[in-house]
Amino acid sequence: MGENQKGLFSVIEKLKGTTELEFRIVLLGLDNAGKTTLLKQLASEDVNTITPTQGFNIKSVTSHGMKLNVWDIGGQRKIRTFWKKYLENTDLLIYVIDSADKKRFEETGVELAELIEEENLKGVPILIFANKQDLATASPAAEIAEGLNLHTYRDREWQIQACSAVSSEGVQDGMNWISNNIANKRKVE
Amino acid sequence: MADDSEWVLESIAGYLGSPEWVIPVTDFMENKCTVFDDEDENKLTYTEIHQQYKELAEKLLDNYMQEVGINEQQFVEACASPFAKSKTLQGVLQPVLASDDFQMFRSLMVQKNMELQLQALRVIKERNGALPECLMDGEDVMGELEQQEMKILQEVLRRSKEEYDMEMARRTLLEEEVGTTSSSCSIPSVPNGTGPHQAPPLAPAPTANSAGKTSSTAAKKEEKRLVLGKGDKDQKSPAKTGGASPVKPPAERGGSDGKTLPAVRAPVTGAPVSPKEKSNSNSQAAENWLEEAQKEAGISKPFTELSASQQEQLQQRALYLRQQRDKLQALKKEQQRPKQGQPEEAPAAPTAAPSTQENVPKKAVSASNGNSSQPGGAPQGDQKPKEISVEERKKLQKRKHLAEKLKEEVIKK
Repeated sequence: MGENQKGLFSVIEKLKGTTELEFRIVLLGLDNAGKTTLLKQLASEDVNTITPTQGFNIKSVTSHGMKLNVWDIGGQRKIRTFWKKYLENTDLLIYVIDSADKKRFEETGVELAELIEEENLKGVPILIFANKQDLATASPAAEIAEGLNLHTYRDREWQIQACSAVSSEGVQDGMNWISNNIANKRKVE
Repeated sequence: MADDSEWVLESIAGYLGSPEWVIPVTDFMENKCTVFDDEDENKLTYTEIHQQYKELAEKLLDNYMQEVGINEQQFVEACASPFAKSKTLQGVLQPVLASDDFQMFRSLMVQKNMELQLQALRVIKERNGALPECLMDGEDVMGELEQQEMKILQEVLRRSKEEYDMEMARRTLLEEEVGTTSSSCSIPSVPNGTGPHQAPPLAPAPTANSAGKTSSTAAKKEEKRLVLGKGDKDQKSPAKTGGASPVKPPAERGGSDGKTLPAVRAPVTGAPVSPKEKSNSNSQAAENWLEEAQKEAGISKPFTELSASQQEQLQQRALYLRQQRDKLQALKKEQQRPKQGQPEEAPAAPTAAPSTQENVPKKAVSASNGNSSQPGGAPQGDQKPKEISVEERKKLQKRKHLAEKLKEEVIKK
């Protein structure tokens, strides 16, 4: 029965008349990390009126001829338990960190480590945005990478990218990495 | 193969139009769509509902395919065929596609929710004949503001009318008083005085200003006292005496209405009222005033559906009304002093006095032979007026206090 259902899924996917490549990207991170700001920046929307996300936002972004459906799920502690429900069929994970919030580096590290263990994210490439680099107190990306033990990741592609979601600095670099890796991954499959 | 896929797709499309599919799916959507609004942000519950929908759709499709004998291979091939990509079929297949496409599902649910709401509105309309204002199109915030504004405006109008009534009542009482106590006075009308205590000026003969002033001061004083007492009582029950009193002789009416009309009208209309426009009888004056007020209300009510600029106008009008009232009150206070010494004159002169500030000096001067009725100038009879004005002021202050409280209450609401 389970097999059968899975088959039906793929069938329905094929039913869609889309010809362009479509990818599902999930955008996670602690509350106030800047996920929604980043999402709106990606969609070229106004980033000045953003409030804490209670649910989730979805934007479809076209990048390098690919359609990226980016899901931004709220990062408040009570919502984090719902993250799992959004990981299915994910092609890539973007994890956002507030580089200036040193007090919560440990907390964000714990959350990321838990995500890495998720079955649905097995082998899924991860892009980490070291956000809020426009703030004077922001830690450099290399330092954060070290704190997160990113170098221990063996079973997946990963990248850390310094950025400022508000000014959009560094965001495009991250997107370039995404399109390269997603495309490659599909080819391999 | 090609034949196969066509048959398969047609069969499935037929199923999607049959009650076996439509009823459970529509049921599901109608039951669950209420939480779907068209906000940008999605609620976490949407995902849960989408998951349930997915399960329902798959179960139904699965059952049908088993029943009819379509195997998965056939289905896959059918879906890959160009026939499946046609627009009509894509439309038919939308409910199926929605099970895998959250955003499609979401838009379906939002649409369903809107349909249900419109249906509900229609039902309400049919039942009640019209929609309650609170259900009108996206006017919640505006409506509230509007209501508040209307309340303020109505309060202002109401107070204006109260003041008018009070004044009228006082005047009629005064006039009665004058009529009974000082029957000797040839002309009992109350011309210039805007305040309630202008009865005293009635006493002196109309023709001789100076003579009347000097000779009849003592008599005036007594009269004033009497009048004052009356006036106080009457203030407590303004409603009863509110209307134009039938006791008054016609001559008096002409005289007194000249004052009252402009006093009330000027602020309401928001523009100086020329003396010509003023009506000649008290009752008419009252009517006019009410008309004016109604117009005001009549204009403003439709505004509920109108633009912000018009609302602003309304607000400005209300503000203006308030300012005018304040000005008038100040004017009255001041005028009471000079008016004491003033004799009554032709009705034309008095009318001008209260109407607007600009009018006051001109007309008053010409009418009163140098007895300036200007606010600033306190001419003769300083002592008498003072006695009165002290009490008068107290009263005025009380009234203002009350008004202030009312205003606060209204605005705070």
